Amino acid sequence: MGFLENQFEENVLTTKVDWLLNWCRLSSLWPMTFGLACCAIEMMAVGMAHHDIDRFGAGAFRASPRQSDLMIVAGTVNFKMAERIKKLHEQMPSPKYVIAMGACATGGGPYHDWGYTVVKGVDRVVPVDVYIAGCPPRPEALLEGLMALQRKIRRTPIVRKPSTPA
Amino acid sequence: MDCKGIQDRLLAIGAPGLIGIDLPREPDPKDKKDKGRTGEPFLLVDAQSLPAFLTACRDDPELDFALLVDLTAADPAATAPELWVHVQLLSHTKRHRLAVRCAVPKATPSMPTSARVYRSAQWHEREAMEMFGIEFVGHPDPRHVLLPDDWVGHPLRKDYVYPEEYHGISCK
Repeated sequence: MGFLENQFEENVLTTKVDWLLNWCRLSSLWPMTFGLACCAIEMMAVGMAHHDIDRFGAGAFRASPRQSDLMIVAGTVNFKMAERIKKLHEQMPSPKYVIAMGACATGGGPYHDWGYTVVKGVDRVVPVDVYIAGCPPRPEALLEGLMALQRKIRRTPIVRKPSTPA
Repeated sequence: MDCKGIQDRLLAIGAPGLIGIDLPREPDPKDKKDKGRTGEPFLLVDAQSLPAFLTACRDDPELDFALLVDLTAADPAATAPELWVHVQLLSHTKRHRLAVRCAVPKATPSMPTSARVYRSAQWHEREAMEMFGIEFVGHPDPRHVLLPDDWVGHPLRKDYVYPEEYHGISCK
C-alpha cells in the first residue's frame, strides 16, 4: 500500500447502501458475447486495446447468458433470431440490462420499409435501457452508451423507495 | 465458345428442351420507347426438360459444364403471367459460361428438380422455393433455407402481402 500504510488506523468509511450496491453493479457489467451483424465488429473494436472497454469494468465478455449482466444487441434482428434473443434474455440473471446498438437494433434501420423478416426494433422483444444511434456506431459511441447505462444504474434506488412513481 | 457457338453445339447433339436464344441488342432508333437490352446473351429452355438439358450440358465433352454457378428465380412484373428461373453454368476446362432462362406459369409454378444433375442446385432450389413458391418436383430436401419453417407467403413475389405479426412480435 506504500505511503498509505499505517496512516489510518481502524478506519470507518460511511456511505449509502444504495450507492455501494449500485457502484458494485455498474463497475462490473459483464456483457454477453453476442454479435448479429456489422455492429458486432465495432463492439469487438471496443473490446480491443485501443478503446478498451475494460476501463469501464465491462470487458469480461461471457459466452453464456447465465454469467452476463448486459446484452449488447449489436446488429440486425430478424424474426428467426428475435425468439432466441428473448430466450437468451430470459436466461440472464437479474439485474440485467440491454443496449440496442445501432440503427437496426433501435428501429429496423435500412430494413425498416422493405425488410420483411427484420424486427423493427429489438424493443419489440426485450426491454431496452440504452439506444445508440449510428450505422454502425463508432466505438466511442458504444462507450458513451455504456457510460449512459452506468449513470442510469447509479441513480437506481434499491433500498429506498423511488421518490417518483416508476 | 460464346453463347451462339454453345447453342449450335447443343443443337448438333440434340439437347432436349432448347427453345431459342435471347441476345443483347441496340435500341431501335425509330422507336423512342425501345431501350434495347444490355447484359449477357442467354438460352431459352423449356422448364419441364431443364434437368435433361443440364445433363446434356454437363456430359458433352465439347461443352463440359462442370459447375452450376447459380440457380435463381425472378418475378418480372406484377402483371406477368410467368416466373423466370435463371441458371448459370461454368466450364473450367473450356473457359466458357452459359446463362439459361426458363419460364414457369405463376398459377402453377412447378418444374422438375435439377438437384440430381448438379448437387449444388439443391440449396439454390430451396431458396427459389421459399422466396417465389416454385415447386421443384422430386427435390430431395424441400425445407426452407433462410426463412423460418412456418413463414407464410413468398416474399420476393410481386404480389406478396406483408405479415402483420409473427409469433406475437409486431411486424410494423
